Parts: sequence; structure tokens; C-alpha cells
Amino acid sequence: MDTQQFEKLLLQVQKPGRYSGGESGSIIKDKEKVDVRFAFCFPDTYEIGMSHLGMKILYSLFNSREDIWCERVFAPWTDFEAVMRENNIPLFALESRDAIKDFDFIGFTLQYEMAYTNVLNMLDLAGLPLKSADRTSLSPLVVAGGPCVCNPEPIADFIDLFFLGEGEEVDLEIIDLYKEHKKKGSTKEEFLRAAAKIEGVYVPSLYDIEYNEDNTIKSVTPKNGAPAVISKRIIKDMDKCYYPDNFVVPYIEIVHDRVVQEVFRGCIRGCRFCQAGFIYRPVREKSSDTVNRQARALCENTGYDEISLSSLSTSDYREIEPLLNKLLGWTEKSYVSLALPSLRIDNFSDELLDKIKHIRKSGLTFAPEAGTQRLRDVINKNVTEEEILNTCRTAFEGGYTAVKLYFMLGLPTETDEDLKGIADLGQKIVNEFYSMPNKPKGKSVSVSISVSTFVPKPFTPFQFEPQITKEEIHRRQEYLKSCITTRKISLSYHDSATSSLEGVFARGDRRLGAVIELAYKNGCTFDSWTECFDDEKWKKAFEDAGVSPEFYANRLRDYSEINPWDHLDYGVTKKFLIKENETAHNEKTTPNCREKCSACGAACYGEGVCFEKR
Amino acid sequence: MGRVFALRNVRIYFSKLGRMKFVSHLDLTRFMARLIKKSKIPVWYTEGFNRHIYMNFAVPLSLGFESTCEIMDIRIVDENFTNSQCLEQLNSVAAEDIKFFAVNDPVLPTKEIGYADFILSFEELKAETASKLSAFLQSDSILCEKTGKKGKVKQIDLIPKIKSFLLEDKTLNLTLVAGSEDNLNPSLVMDTFFSQTETEPIFYSVTRTAILDKKGNKFK
Repeated sequence: MDTQQFEKLLLQVQKPGRYSGGESGSIIKDKEKVDVRFAFCFPDTYEIGMSHLGMKILYSLFNSREDIWCERVFAPWTDFEAVMRENNIPLFALESRDAIKDFDFIGFTLQYEMAYTNVLNMLDLAGLPLKSADRTSLSPLVVAGGPCVCNPEPIADFIDLFFLGEGEEVDLEIIDLYKEHKKKGSTKEEFLRAAAKIEGVYVPSLYDIEYNEDNTIKSVTPKNGAPAVISKRIIKDMDKCYYPDNFVVPYIEIVHDRVVQEVFRGCIRGCRFCQAGFIYRPVREKSSDTVNRQARALCENTGYDEISLSSLSTSDYREIEPLLNKLLGWTEKSYVSLALPSLRIDNFSDELLDKIKHIRKSGLTFAPEAGTQRLRDVINKNVTEEEILNTCRTAFEGGYTAVKLYFMLGLPTETDEDLKGIADLGQKIVNEFYSMPNKPKGKSVSVSISVSTFVPKPFTPFQFEPQITKEEIHRRQEYLKSCITTRKISLSYHDSATSSLEGVFARGDRRLGAVIELAYKNGCTFDSWTECFDDEKWKKAFEDAGVSPEFYANRLRDYSEINPWDHLDYGVTKKFLIKENETAHNEKTTPNCREKCSACGAACYGEGVCFEKR
Repeated sequence: MGRVFALRNVRIYFSKLGRMKFVSHLDLTRFMARLIKKSKIPVWYTEGFNRHIYMNFAVPLSLGFESTCEIMDIRIVDENFTNSQCLEQLNSVAAEDIKFFAVNDPVLPTKEIGYADFILSFEELKAETASKLSAFLQSDSILCEKTGKKGKVKQIDLIPKIKSFLLEDKTLNLTLVAGSEDNLNPSLVMDTFFSQTETEPIFYSVTRTAILDKKGNKFK
């Protein structure tokens, strides 16, 4: 690409830093000296994609190999897309500015369902046919990983192969296999058949799906030697697992503009709505020495002055106290700040408490998720009202005046009483503030309540549950609004149409591929952005494809029904999910992994919390 | 804190070229803070609640402009740390399109900045447009509207702010007032030219080539 011409075009768009490349830490190689070129695509904006830890890990891992050059690609925002199309600029990788259609791999990370149209748009901008079947040559291979791959069926028509679970090992195995086949001059078909034999690789074209008259799935039949069940991959020893010692540090400000240090994978809690809590099982921790060493190297190499510890629930880290002691041993001296998520600090030593007093804390946030104890038991969220009120009181005494609460609306068995409970809890926190004799003088309290809409997800005990309809979501939002009577409480909630659509794709099957393609052709992209989302276009796409969204989102699924993702194995068994679903309807909680093993199935990997000494 | 440091101001000269022109001033400050941190130069941090590296940029550069003459002041807390050490350590971590070429003791405070030199390179400049531009820059006054920081629109005359110009071939050299008291951006000159003379806008790139003091000498 002509640099001058390109840079002239960049000056026409907002935030040219999204497309300019050349950031510190970005990796430039000689393309003549590598065997495999990998375009790592994040189907959203630069600022969001660059904040994603998985991409940072895999980018550095791939580039640590001399024979691979991995480059980054993001979805161009609508202004730059228009410029690209007008000037016939194909989708390019940031490092080399080479068109990605000539790469060996085009790899997408699928973090949320609402990015699917962006995947199609990026393939189209690259100048490639959208459908896997229409791309006949061996390369570029279009591959995908990430949490959405636990039910990849809606997007299966467009992707050649999926990686299930954690990518550090399996991605390289596939790249090596590809190198062999490229040398041999294999066809795409030959390569995909061989690839399907690697554990953790799902090649959707090797499976025939048959449907019943009622549109449910009758059977999923593997062909050409593909396995009947595909198992996810996990990294067994987190201390030995690759972790980058440098990040690409953007010039423009991104969402998480700091060192992100992974502490462990998985979660012991088992909240029944939470997909991450199940698909990343079992919990595998890094030692505090590893975490400390990695965080320090990252700070030195990136120049960042802030570290955030990353996991699904950092307060459950067993070595949190030794870790903080180690980190604080050098961070303060080098003016590096630590961002601590709302930790359970009740059992820290006085010495450590004194140390972390100086740490800037993010706002006070809680995620009770439901407004009544009954419903919190249903979802297995073990937070009590008393705990919340006590922590708020302590925080108010410490000078805090703002609290943020996260809830979900539309949870299974939810009634109006549960919704009223949300407003009541907010009110109790306000009352708690005013009941304090030593409350901060001259200050008012503010409680922000953020309510998202529950979306039933595969591999959770609620995968069988109907999602409430768009109209009902709207009614419940209005009802909740009417329950709030004070200006001290502010309420925000998600758009009902987006949540409904997410519900459709989360548990959808292959017939939704046509809907995504039609919606994309109607002009849908960036569906997770309110300024871009157009529900009318989606409605038309469903109508034109003759597909009913209600079938996927709002129907109670029988335990015996074959789900579109039942041939994928994430460790957690369907039997366990059924048991958990029943326990939920009995309004009973399940102890966390460290209290008592509930035999979810994740012990099959032979590692992690399942084998900790109790 | 509690210790007494002999703080020493140093003035750093650097170029901002190529891809770095897409980095806005705000982003540049964050970039520099990280770069200085990586360079391990013993810099002074501000003493507030939110401690950060003290940096003072002489005149911010607009997004999209290149420069061969950027100036930034920092404070060194180690008396024995020399300017050449500082330069060496900065360049050891510098990016492709940022090069540090001098570190000196400041002579004048940044409020003494008076002018800046710019080179505007046009993609193409027809003889007719060139003569129109030349005549425009020699007008007695060029009145135009300038939107201030707070969104206030006020009427200004550009002529007193244009110290000199030289139009040769496809390049326009401009010396414009610069600094914290008064500042003229070359894009405002060109935008006004295009709109007031009803000329079809043509593409040009901008490079700042010198920062001058109030007497018109190189600012040091």
C-alpha cells in the first residue's frame, strides 16, 4: 500500500491511531523469512480489541516462534470502512499493512454474539467469500476461538475450524499441522480432516445436522473420521504456561490501558447464570511468585504505571495476601499503582490493611445480581443483604459516598416482588448512610443500580430456561423504574432488543447462519453499539430467512432435547447441569468448589481445584 | 518525600515524524510518560494525590502534523545525572518515529516562545492557485472567525500573526505567532484561504521546523 496515499486517507477519519500501527511493542518481521502469516482479528474496535488479554497472550506466543508472524486486525469503524471501500483498500494487518486475504490464517476471537456481523464484514472487507464452502483453497484458513465457540453453530457456515477452550497449545498444533500440509500441497479438505483429529478442534463442515419436524435437532452425525464429541483444551500448569513479558502499548487511549496480570483461570463459585463460571473450569491458579514476576516484567517493558489483577473472582485467590505483599514491595517505589477489585478484606493482617490503605481503590461495587434472598439462592449467588449493608457501612465510614450495584432482570422464577427487592436494597443502602451518626458531613449518598438482562447461555444450569420476551423485558424495566422513589438512586438498564438477539444467538443452531448473513447484507454491523444497532433490519432478516427468533430464545427446553452444542464437551456434564437446574428450582444453593466438590465433571482434566488438598 | 532533592530542569528536543503524526497531544503525553518510565531516567514525580511524571511541552502539535523541533521539559532528581546520559537513555527506548536529538539546560522559560516555523507541502499547486495564495498572504488584513477553547467564536485578523512567508514551488514556509499567549495554526490560514477565495481545497502536509523566541531566535 502506498504509505503517503494511505496516511492522507487516515487524516480524514476519527482516531487515526486506530489504524496507523507502529505502536511500541508491535512486532515487525521479514515476511520472506516466516512460514506462516497469521492475522489475529478482533471483530470490534481497536480500543476494545487492544484491551483483550487473550489476544495479547496469543499475539506474543505466536510471535515468539521464528516461523510465525502474527499481526493484529480490528474492525474499522464506519467512517474508515467507508474510506476503505471508496478507495478499494482491502482489510489489512496493522503491522505490515498487507492485505490479510494473502495470509495463511485469519483467526477471529469470538467474545460476544453481537460481533458476528462484524466477522462477516471483516471477511468481506478482506475480499473473501463469506462462506467456508466458497473458500476452496487451503489458505487463508478462517479459524475462531473464544467463549462463543462453546456454541459456534450460528456462525459455523463462515468459519473453517474452531478452537475449543484455551488456545496456547492447540493453536500451535494446528499451525504446525498446516505447515506440513502446505508443504505437501494438500487441499483444504484434506487439511481439515486431519485437523479434526486434534483434540480441541471442531471442524463444523464435518458434521451433518438433521432436524425434527418441530425444528429441534434430531441428530448430529460426524463424517470422514471426525470425532463424535469434541473436547475443549485447557492449560494444566499455569506456572509453566506462556505469558507475555511485553504488550503492544497503544498510542491512543484504550478501554483497559494498563498492565493486565492474570492470576488464575476458572471460578469456584458456580453462579448458575454465569457461562464463564462453567466453561473455564477447573480453577487453576498461578503461584504468587509467578504473578509477581510476570507483572513486574510487564511494567518494566511497557512503561505502564498501573496493574490490574485479572481473574473471574480475584478475592478467591488463595495467595492474595502473599501476592499483595510481594507486589507492594516494589510498586510503591516505582510509582506503579495497583487496581484492586472489591476484595474481601476481612481476614487480612493489620500490616497489609495498612499498606493497601494507600492504594487508590476503584469505586465501591457489588453484584448481588438479584433483589431478594430467594432469587439469589435460585441463581446460587451467595451474597447476603447483611454482608452488603455491613460493607457499605464500613465504606461510608471510610469516606465513600457512592455505591454501584449490578443486577440482572429476567432471571428464571423472577417475580415483581424480586424486582421490587432491587429498589428496596438500594433504599436500605441509602437509609444505612443516613442512619450513621458519623456520616460524612455535607455530602449526599448516591447508589447507582445497573440492570442487565439475563440471557440463558449454553453450559450453564439455565441453558434449558426460556428467556423472557422483549415486551416482558420492557414491562419489567418499567415496573422496576416505578419502584424507585428517590433521586439518590439512579437506574440504568440494557436495551431489550439487543438482549433478545443475544439470547437467540447464544443458543442458536446452524439455521441462524442465513439470518446473520441477511442482516449483514441489510447493513447490520457493530450491533453491540447502540448508535449502529438497528432492530428493524434484524427483524427483516429473520422474516426473510423464515426463522423464528422465539424458537431459540423464549422456549423452555426439555432436558432430553439435543442442544446445538451437545456434541461439544467443556468438562461440565449435562447431567450436572440438569441437577443444578433442579436445585435452582428448589431454591437451594450449591457449595463452591473449595467447600465441597459437586462432581460437575471438570475433574476429568486431572488438574486444578478438583485436586487441591482440603 | 521528606528528602530534599536538588531538582534540575532539562529541556529535551525531539522529532515526531511518520506514524507518530497520528498521535494527538494528549496521547503523546501518556506515551512520553511511559517512555520516560521505561528509560529509567531519575525524573521528578508531582507530589499530589495522583502522582505522575512532571512534563512540560513547549507548544502542543496538532494531530496530523509532523515536527523536527519538539520541546519538552522534565525535572531530574539525581544531581549526578548528566544531559548526555539522559539523551542516551531516552534513545535506548525511543520508538521508530520519535527521535531525541538533544538534551540541554533550559535558557528561557517556555512563556518566552514567540513564533514557530512551518513548512506546508502541497500535493500539487497550480500557478494560478499559487499567485492567489501569495496575494492572499499579502493582504492588508485577513479577518476570520476563530473558535476558542470554550467554544466562543471571535473575529481575528490573521495578518499581524503571520510574521513572514515564502512560497516556492509546491511548498509554503510560514512563520506564525506561537506560544501560550497567542498562537496561530497553519490550518486556520489555509482554511481561511480556501473559503475566502473560493478555492477548491488541496491536500498538503505540515511539518513544524523550528520554535522561536520572541526575538525570532531559536528557542533554547
